[in-house]
Amino acid sequence: MSNFWKDITSHKGNGWWNLPETTQSEINPKNEGPISIPWLKKIWNIISHGNVEHAGPGFYTIVAIFLAIVTLIELWIFTVETLGGWLNPLLFILSALKFIGVVAFFMHLRFDNKYFTIIFSSCMILGILVFISLLLLWSFAGLKP
Amino acid sequence: MSQTIVNNHHTEEHITSTGLSNRKLLMWTFLGSDVMFFGAFIATYLVYRGKSLNGPYPNEILNIPITSISTFVLLMSSFAMVLALNYLNENRKGLTQFWIWSVVFLGIIFMGFQVVEFTEFAIHGLTPRTNLFGTTFFILTGLHGGHVTIGIIWLAIMGYAHKKGALRSDNSEDLELAGLYWHFVDIVWIVIFTVIYLVSASDGAPPGI
Repeated sequence: MSNFWKDITSHKGNGWWNLPETTQSEINPKNEGPISIPWLKKIWNIISHGNVEHAGPGFYTIVAIFLAIVTLIELWIFTVETLGGWLNPLLFILSALKFIGVVAFFMHLRFDNKYFTIIFSSCMILGILVFISLLLLWSFAGLKP
Repeated sequence: MSQTIVNNHHTEEHITSTGLSNRKLLMWTFLGSDVMFFGAFIATYLVYRGKSLNGPYPNEILNIPITSISTFVLLMSSFAMVLALNYLNENRKGLTQFWIWSVVFLGIIFMGFQVVEFTEFAIHGLTPRTNLFGTTFFILTGLHGGHVTIGIIWLAIMGYAHKKGALRSDNSEDLELAGLYWHFVDIVWIVIFTVIYLVSASDGAPPGI
């Protein structure tokens, strides 16, 4: 389990995503494929960037399709009336998936120096704390219409 | 504490104490502060959610299908942005131009949707002064719209600079910084779309009103 987590989150790559460590000056690094299985790797490279092994247009297209599909799923579950109390948590999970997709791949945090991830994550945590504090503050104040 | 060296591509690189580009570090720090900025406004929206004493209420006025299209447009502009940077690094001028201006175009389309939405709301009697929903909605989406407008202007300048040869693959960080800002605007909208439009779409008058 810890290896799986490390593979997904590690900046050194060579794991499940197999995205290599890069310097900040190389923002579109070599991409050896998301999966280490040779034949899948070959297919991935053909799809993603014509065998030249970069995180190029193909890779970004896959991310964009993923984001579009998640948006469609959001709209679909929005119309499902039987979800009841599950609707909002599901919407927030899907929203978080899109958020991570854009930040990790389009903003290159997945490829870039880990300090940028630390800075942004720290601010995200602070932001979420501000968010929760405000909600709690007003909740305790018993604000009514 | 930085010195300048000239590499074999005749471009300047700064060696910094962190080993990172100062400008990129600054941009990420700014984006982090903007997270807290928007976090406060989104929290304010939620605090006052469902507490408007008079209409129009969200369930009477929000148009989810139309906003979904504008959300899709903004997502695709992020995709165009990442392609523009990719092609700039590959020195492919025509494609870089095409994708930079695509981002600008999609950004303008998004703003067009917002202008139409705001106008529709005003016609139906919802303004920032109408009720708590109006105040928090217009402030949050308006601030986001302001960010998008700044991004459009910034990217239009980048497009022009690239056309004139001032933006090249050896100084692509200029476009990368603009791109980071643009993607940030996109992720903020991802949250706003969920919180305001999807989660709050069924909100009506509070109990007892």
